[in-house]
Amino acid sequence: MSETLTAPPATPAETPGKRPSRVAEALWLVVPYVVSVVLAFVVGGLIIAAIGRDPIAAFESVLTTSFNTRFGTIETLHKWVPVLLCAYAFAIPLATGKFNIGAEGQLLVGATGGVALGILWSDLPMVVLLPCVLVAGALSGAVWAGIAAFLMTKFQVNEILSTVVLNFISFQLIDYVASHVWPDRGAGHPATTPVGEGALLPGIGQAPPMHTGVLLTVLLVIVIAVFMRRTSTGFEMRAVGANLRAAQVHGIRTSRLAGAGLVVGGAVAGLAGAIEVAGVHGKMLEGMQSNFLILGIIVGLMARGSMLALPFIAFGIAVLEVGAGSMQRTAQVPVEMVLIIEALILLFLLLSDIARAKIRRS
Amino acid sequence: MTESPRLEMRGIVKTFGPVTALDAVDLVVGRNEVHGLLGGNGAGKTTLMNVLYGLYRPNAGEVLLDGQPASIGSPKDAIAAGVGMVHQTFLQVDNYTVTENIVLGTDVPGPLRLDLSEAKERIRDLSERFGLTVDPDAVVEELPVGVRQRVEILKALYRGAKLLILDEPTTNLTPQEVDDLFGSMRAMVDDGMSVVLITHKIRETLSVCDRMTVMRDGRRVETIERADTDAEHLAEKMVGSTTDPGAAVDAAALGAVDADKVEEVLSSVGTTTAVAVRDLVVVNDQGHELIQGFGLELREGEIVGIAGVAGNGQVELAEALAGVRPLRAGTVEVTGRSMGGLATSAWLEHGVAYVPEDRHRDGILPTASITENLVLGSQRSDQVRRRGLIDWGAAKQRAVDAIAEFSVRANGPGTLVGDLSGGNIQRVILARAFARQPRMLILHNPTRGLDIGSTRFVYQQVRKATAAGCAVLLISEDLDEVIALSDRVIALYQGSKAGEWQHGSVDAYAVGRSMTGLGEARV
Repeated sequence: MSETLTAPPATPAETPGKRPSRVAEALWLVVPYVVSVVLAFVVGGLIIAAIGRDPIAAFESVLTTSFNTRFGTIETLHKWVPVLLCAYAFAIPLATGKFNIGAEGQLLVGATGGVALGILWSDLPMVVLLPCVLVAGALSGAVWAGIAAFLMTKFQVNEILSTVVLNFISFQLIDYVASHVWPDRGAGHPATTPVGEGALLPGIGQAPPMHTGVLLTVLLVIVIAVFMRRTSTGFEMRAVGANLRAAQVHGIRTSRLAGAGLVVGGAVAGLAGAIEVAGVHGKMLEGMQSNFLILGIIVGLMARGSMLALPFIAFGIAVLEVGAGSMQRTAQVPVEMVLIIEALILLFLLLSDIARAKIRRS
Repeated sequence: MTESPRLEMRGIVKTFGPVTALDAVDLVVGRNEVHGLLGGNGAGKTTLMNVLYGLYRPNAGEVLLDGQPASIGSPKDAIAAGVGMVHQTFLQVDNYTVTENIVLGTDVPGPLRLDLSEAKERIRDLSERFGLTVDPDAVVEELPVGVRQRVEILKALYRGAKLLILDEPTTNLTPQEVDDLFGSMRAMVDDGMSVVLITHKIRETLSVCDRMTVMRDGRRVETIERADTDAEHLAEKMVGSTTDPGAAVDAAALGAVDADKVEEVLSSVGTTTAVAVRDLVVVNDQGHELIQGFGLELREGEIVGIAGVAGNGQVELAEALAGVRPLRAGTVEVTGRSMGGLATSAWLEHGVAYVPEDRHRDGILPTASITENLVLGSQRSDQVRRRGLIDWGAAKQRAVDAIAEFSVRANGPGTLVGDLSGGNIQRVILARAFARQPRMLILHNPTRGLDIGSTRFVYQQVRKATAAGCAVLLISEDLDEVIALSDRVIALYQGSKAGEWQHGSVDAYAVGRSMTGLGEARV
């Protein structure tokens, strides 16, 4: 919990010169990110050069695809939504000190819940059906994470284990739904039949349209920020994350709260699943979870507990992800290179904590 | 030429970032001498000795041992040079025997042969010579604190220490154990060793030291012969002049004068019963009954002190009475309301305030601001919320006020509490406790590790609280503090009441005997 909720002190420092100024504090916050990104690209560039490709061309296409074409921009925003929501699914329980490694399972079960209503009630008009699909997605994700939360609070089952294991069950679940319940035989790939028209998120603009899930996500960013900053429950969650014992001593029911954090995280991931169904695919298909779990964790860790930083970091990651494809096309560098760079950024960022502590101490 | 002193430290300077912890400090310790290093917390005593022991590198200054310049870069060098140090916290392997703990880290006969009989003989010999009674075959975790401390001293002696540093060794000891320790110290100097006693208790230096050096704010104030000084003089050097109300109590609690001779009281005892505890049974995390059938009545404005050696159920008692730990049996009534079975938050709302022993672990959110820490615990009350959301603007204003009222040294309400010093953290915790107008205040080792200013501040706040009718339970391992502050002193031994005394008729030795189970045979 590196962010504090109150504004910096209005009164001047009691002992001037002894404490770094506000500008210095901000620099301490931003510089590590910049340095980490630069270093990650340098090391990534060396690897690309080592495999005999042109790093400059590769990075050019990685970094510009999202901004050069309307298609790239829309694609980036569409990627931003599930990456950010999965990052929240990781970061919200993390605020209470719990690790949710089950965002992809929660996303898939959320998609299942959404697609079920979208198919079963396909005749309903959009005003009724679309909210139902989204709510069903969030609820399904919440229930899925709720299993882990229940096991954790009732039997002290480690949440890392249970959420990971639930991922595997969710793979089988959507496989079953896509191959036996509502299979689309003609798809050539396990997928469900399309949802009804009323279940689709309306698009904005033409060729290609941006789905309104993006706007919904922006709204959610605000709601989550307010929730964490201004509500008692949000404060209690952060207190638990900052010091579990102290929170207990001061009357916070910590285990209940940690469970609630997992459930809320699951709901957000479930909503991501429903948005993917209603905005991108129009149905549920195997593999739709992509690598959102790992990207969410990377973003969540990079944000270092700051809910405000998440949307921005998620956007940066979305840019890299979208650029990866065009990099492979133009510079013949495999898409996995981008994941390597993302991992390097995180690694350097973690190292920067140590470096910073050393510099500050001396 | 006269014989050079055992230790000479000249112009030692040590800074931590912008803070100067030691400002050109000189110290001379002669042979066959117990030298008292006297000062409040934060005066720099321990820092100075840590420099000598090789734990800190000084920015300037030199160290001479037996007249020879010594270059000590690590505790290993220090031990090789004949310097031994006993810290406040012991580094011992709990499930090893005394002998194994002492031998650990020294040269043993060979990597494959561990014959400890020779070592055992040496330890037995050392312990007899210096009156440090301990069974070399006992497993360390089963020993009381006082004996574990002897193990630590023997460790230093076994390694051939000629100069022994003891850092606040009397914390957690009963008066009897303190006498024994001082006896051993005399035996050591008679045997040709030198001892440095780090303490903040004037009485102790007067009873055992040959010479003492008083430190304040990282500077040496004065070095003086025992014969040339008295308690009043030392107190003045250490604290500055003491004329404000309650000074006598403060001085006693600080160990400057005998606590049981103080007549002044801090409390303002009323007639109404504020807290009634009956037949209380509390278990620890492992399910052992650490409080067994404890009973207590507290009137409004009364201070009751619980004296005891750490580990006799203090933590469990404090947590149970704070509503943090469930009651296994018995009842707790606060202003007539039975509190058993209620959630911690209900205890808080009913006016039970708890200042925990471990400030960092139980008291604060280190990565949160002062404002947030002050809100902790009342985040659901109407004081803090407006239209269902926390009003951080108002909370910040209250934090600014609290910082001023409780003299917290911080840049502002946004300062992270983890960045504050121990004394300032305690001020924040007190500010939070008092903001709720408590009816019962539980203080557990409230002044441990605090500098003199902060210690006095805590006492002032206690006086204020009792004036407002708050009942105070003071659980402390500092016997002087308990005796000086309390209207009644209760000795706690193995989870039960082992004795009770009224203010003014407390005999420290009697309390000490009760604390250790009526002075039963000691190990």
